[in-house]
Amino acid sequence: MEFLLQAFWAPLTETYFQKAMIGGCLVAIVAGVVGCLVVLRRMAFLGDALSHAMIAGVAGGYLVMKLLFGIEAHAFGMLLGSLLAAVLTVALIGLVSRISRIKEDTAIGIMYTGVFALGVVVVSIFRSYIHIDLMHFILGDILGVADTDLWVGAVVSALVLTILILFFRHFQLATFDPVMAASIGLPVLLLDYALTTCVSLVVVSAVSMVGVILVVGLLITPAATAYLLCDRLDRMMALAALFGVTSVIGGLYLCVWLDSAGGGAVMLFCTLQFLVVLVVAPRYGLLVRWLRLRRLVPQQVVEDVLTTILRHEGDTLLTVIRQYVQHPVHLSKALRQMEQDGLISASGGAYRLTEAGTKEARQVLRAHRLWESYLESIGTPQEALHSTAHRMEHMRAGGTVDYLDEKLGQPARDPHGHQIPPRQENDKQT
Amino acid sequence: MTTEKPPIIEVRHLTVSYGTRPALLDVSVSIEPDQLVGVIGPNGSGKSTLIKVILGFIRPDVGEVFIAGQDVQKAKGRVAYVPQRGAVDWDFPITVREVALMGRYQQIPWHRSPRKEDRDAALEALEMVRMSDFADRQIGQLSGGQQQRVFLARALAQGADILLLDEPFAGVDAATERAILEVLERAKAAGKTLVVVHHDLTTAAEYFDKLILIKQRLYAYGPPRAVLNEELLSQVYEGRLRIFADLMAKEGA
Repeated sequence: MEFLLQAFWAPLTETYFQKAMIGGCLVAIVAGVVGCLVVLRRMAFLGDALSHAMIAGVAGGYLVMKLLFGIEAHAFGMLLGSLLAAVLTVALIGLVSRISRIKEDTAIGIMYTGVFALGVVVVSIFRSYIHIDLMHFILGDILGVADTDLWVGAVVSALVLTILILFFRHFQLATFDPVMAASIGLPVLLLDYALTTCVSLVVVSAVSMVGVILVVGLLITPAATAYLLCDRLDRMMALAALFGVTSVIGGLYLCVWLDSAGGGAVMLFCTLQFLVVLVVAPRYGLLVRWLRLRRLVPQQVVEDVLTTILRHEGDTLLTVIRQYVQHPVHLSKALRQMEQDGLISASGGAYRLTEAGTKEARQVLRAHRLWESYLESIGTPQEALHSTAHRMEHMRAGGTVDYLDEKLGQPARDPHGHQIPPRQENDKQT
Repeated sequence: MTTEKPPIIEVRHLTVSYGTRPALLDVSVSIEPDQLVGVIGPNGSGKSTLIKVILGFIRPDVGEVFIAGQDVQKAKGRVAYVPQRGAVDWDFPITVREVALMGRYQQIPWHRSPRKEDRDAALEALEMVRMSDFADRQIGQLSGGQQQRVFLARALAQGADILLLDEPFAGVDAATERAILEVLERAKAAGKTLVVVHHDLTTAAEYFDKLILIKQRLYAYGPPRAVLNEELLSQVYEGRLRIFADLMAKEGA
């Protein structure tokens, strides 16, 4: 108890931890919400591009403020610079992919590395003027969040969230069906630019905390996690914000306990969170899919069991059934399921058909014998008749059996001289 | 015109199923050579399944397909396929000539380059679809109908006797449709058999020598006049009769 209190409460009393948590949560919320649109539009690579392009803007902003006004490391100047760089990159990408045959993903790759390289070159040329630690920029430092970072985070979050909430329907439609959106007069291009500007703002405010490389993760991983859990955009956004917050909180504790890098810990927690959801998500999770496949009793096995018991007239032992079923692996599961469905009843290790089961079985048998008759009529060799019909008897949808019946002139007996059961009105053919 | 030639495509008692649902049920049809055959039927009626079986992509549950008397699995390359236009990257850096040459790739072993005879065959095929003037154009610089013809040339260069076309008239204008049809006619005159998946009932009678009407089962195979009768069509298209009434009127006129 004492230990737990220490582990959870002690960090909360530290100022740096409080700032990290507030700043981180602010950014994570808005990143999660914007990230949903980024994920749905398949622009994940663009987030990466923007964060890298920023470095040129930061250097530019720094340089301009220093050379013109003599102010060192002016936060607002750098922010404006990085925003400009981001928008410029987006515009260049759009230009190249629109006027040439280069596809957009390649254009993004060209432009962001180019702008990033420009930033690196500028920073290194002016290294005596610019005191930017590139490593700090690349890795970020969530535990060293300054008050200005908090203010930037707060303003950005408020602004972006306001835009997204006010124009939710616009963004929803422009993402889902841009052509229709344009046809009803929505300014689709403007919305595109608004969204990329929002993404740039979020990226700019998040880079100081988690760094250039990890910021994409903060943008898309919580959104992707939420995507696995819901089927509506508004809920996905809310959930993505929540996952962003839990990533930051979880990551910060992780970083304090392990004494590790802050940004790394946050993204690691975020990724683990995604993996857990990927496994356990109720509808789109791996576990559910696996269980569903396991629980599925193949209709073939059910029908094989039915006809086997029908042919043996009365109580049939499990060992006998096992001989006649094509895929005996699912047999015990199928038998249990069939008992539940009221098709068969068990007593003393033997199975017998219920009334409903008999009816069903006779329909399968009818299909089987009609298929046999049909196959004989088209010249299938005698020895292949039964096995082929056994495979085909399961295909009964779409009036298949009635078609065969009619084609063959409603025969009474199959090639082996067995009687073909008549058609039933309540047969479940569709 | 269909005098006692042995069938070039023979489909016998074909049944193909997806689970418990038949895609094709007991379809038998013999297609004589040198014909332009249209395959019609509603969406999901098994038209493309039939094409895929004739190509040997899908093995049937029951039944056989023979290409010129040979089992379809052993007749790979005798049947050429022309894809739908949407399935192609039109910005791909490739010229018309190269696309036509691809038709010969099956015959060229990996260790040698295409020879003159391969190049000639490709050019000849382009000649046939009247695209040899465009041989050095990149494929994206062609109109829709020209693009369709280039892919037809590729199929011709393959040397196959049978061409299967998946909706070649989808999304092209009337003039282009004419141009494509003319090429199909020329291919037919050169002794090819063409099987074309087609959507438009109003033009079916005009374009094809014979029609195959399917919806899982074969409803009719024969000359358009026999296939496009009101009773059959209302059976297959489940009574959307107004269009057919118009169609009949046109036929009668």
